[in-house]
Amino acid sequence: MTEAESTPAAIRAVIVEDHALLREGLVALLTENGIEVVATAEDGPGLLRIVAGHKPDLAICDVRLPPTFSDEGIKAALEARRRLPSLALLVLSQYVEPAYSGELLASGESGVGYLLKERVSEVRTFIDAVRRVAAGGTALDREVVGSLMRERQGTLPGNAIETLTARERETIELIAQGRTNAAIARELVVTLGAVEKHISNIFQKLDLPATDDDHRRVLAVLAYLRATGG
Amino acid sequence: MSEQDTSLPAIARAAAIPPLLALIALTLVIWALTGAGSLWPMWPAWAFLVIIAVRGVRIWGRRSDQPGARVPAAYAAVGVIALTALWGMSGGGYFWPVWPMLGIVIALSVASMIGRSGTAELEVRVDELTRTRAGAVDVQASELRRIERDLHDGAQARLVALSMQLGRAEDRLAGKGADDADLKLVREARLEATAAIAELRDLARGISPPVLADRGLEAAVQSLADRTGSQVTVNAEIDQRPPPAVENAAYFVVAEALTNAAKHSPGASVRVTIWRDHEELGIVVADDGLGGADPTGSGLTGLRQRVEALDGWLEVRSPAGEGTTVRAILPCG
Repeated sequence: MTEAESTPAAIRAVIVEDHALLREGLVALLTENGIEVVATAEDGPGLLRIVAGHKPDLAICDVRLPPTFSDEGIKAALEARRRLPSLALLVLSQYVEPAYSGELLASGESGVGYLLKERVSEVRTFIDAVRRVAAGGTALDREVVGSLMRERQGTLPGNAIETLTARERETIELIAQGRTNAAIARELVVTLGAVEKHISNIFQKLDLPATDDDHRRVLAVLAYLRATGG
Repeated sequence: MSEQDTSLPAIARAAAIPPLLALIALTLVIWALTGAGSLWPMWPAWAFLVIIAVRGVRIWGRRSDQPGARVPAAYAAVGVIALTALWGMSGGGYFWPVWPMLGIVIALSVASMIGRSGTAELEVRVDELTRTRAGAVDVQASELRRIERDLHDGAQARLVALSMQLGRAEDRLAGKGADDADLKLVREARLEATAAIAELRDLARGISPPVLADRGLEAAVQSLADRTGSQVTVNAEIDQRPPPAVENAAYFVVAEALTNAAKHSPGASVRVTIWRDHEELGIVVADDGLGGADPTGSGLTGLRQRVEALDGWLEVRSPAGEGTTVRAILPCG
C-alpha cells in the first residue's frame, strides 16, 4: 500500500455493482479523477475472481448483489480481504447499518470505507474518500458516525459526549469520518488553529491521548466508540 | 316468571295442561255415570297426554338454550312411552312397538350424525380460514419485503445514478470555470435528487427494514437499539428464524416500544428480551421510566392489531412511576 500512498494517481481499483448505469457511472467518475479501474464485476463470486486476477489496491463494492440482494456484498468483500489482506474496501450501500460498519472495521488493518451510495454525487468528497481508503485510511459515512455517537451517548462515563459543544461534536464526527484537520477546517469554515483547539478539547474531555497521525487518530476514536459500547 | 323460565310449572301452564287434565277428568266422570263398563276414557286420556307431552317438549326446546340434539331425543322419548302405553292398553301380547321404536332410534342416530358432520365441517372451515389467513399475512410480509427491495434496487438506484451524473456535470462545469448561476442550477438539481433518495430510504425502512430481511430479528433489533437514544440491552435467543410476518410484527413491536420509551421516559434504560421456543416467539420490552403509558394510544393499538392478525397477544403494563412493560407472544406455526 505504500506505493499507493506515495503516488495516489496509481490507485488500481475494481468495482462490483450489479446496476449497469451505476457501474458505468462509477467507472467514468473514477477514471476522470485519475483512478484506474482495472476490472468490474456484477456479483460476489465476480469480485473474488477479479481480485484474484488483478490484485487491486481497492475494491469498491455494493452491499446488495445478485442473486439474493441482501448483504452478499459485505460478505464477498470480507472474503476478498481474507484472501488478499492488503485489499482496501470501500462499501457503498443504499442504507447504513452500524452492524456492517463494525464487521468491516474489525476485518483488518487496511483501509476501510462505508458510505451511502448517494455520496458519489459529491464528487470531490467522494474522490477524497476513495484516495483515503486506498491509502489505508478510514471513510465512514456521517450517518454511520452519527448513529455510533447516539449509540454511545447513553453509556459514556459521566456522559462525556454531552459535555462536547456543538462545534466539537461536528468536529469529532468529521474526525471519525477520517477527515484531515485541513478538510475539517474547510468543511466547518474555520481556521486550522480553531480545528486543532477543538480536537485537543475533545481528546481532553474524552480522556484520549492525542497523536499527530490522522489514521491512528481515527482508529483511536473508533476504538473508543467501540470499546465503550460493550 | 321471565320468558326464559324453564321450570316445570311454567311449562305446564304454557302447554295448557290444566284444561286438558280437566277434559280427562270429565271423560272419567261420564264413564262412571254411564255405568263404568270397559275403561274407554283411557283412549282419549292417552291422546291428551301425548298432546301435553309434545307441547311441553316444544316449549321447553324453545325456551331453554338446550343443544339441538336434546329436543329430538325428548320427542323420541315421548313417542317410545306413548307407544309402550298403547301396547299395554291394548292388552299386551306381541310387542309390536319394537318396530316403530327401531325406526325412531335409526332416525335419531342419522340426525345426530348429520349434526356432528356439520360441526366437523365447521372445524375444517375454521382450520382452513386460520391457515389461509396466516398464508395471506405471510404473502403480505414477503410482498412488503419485495416492495422494499424494489424501491432500493429500482427507483433508488436510478436516482443514485442520476445524482452521480449531476455531480459529475457540476464537477466538470466547475473545472471549466462556469459561472455561479449555472453551477448553482446543477447543484440544486443534485441536492434534490439526494433528498429524494433519502426520502425513499426512510420510506423503504418503514415498510420493512433491510437488515431484518438480511440478518434476521436479532440483528435488526440490535440495530434499532443502536439507533435509539436510550440505553438499551438486548437479549435474544432465536434458534430458528420465524416466518417473515412474525419477524416483521416482532420488529415493529420492539420499534414502537423503544420509540415510546425514548419519547416518554428519555434517559430510562430499556431491556429487550426475545426468545423462541418451538411454537411461539416471545417479546418483552421493559423500561425503568415513568410509566403511565396509555395502552389505548394509536401506536399501541396499531401494534395490538398487527399482533392479533397473527393470532398473538400483546399486553402493556404501565403503572405510574413503575416503568412500562410491553409483552407479546406470537405463534410461529
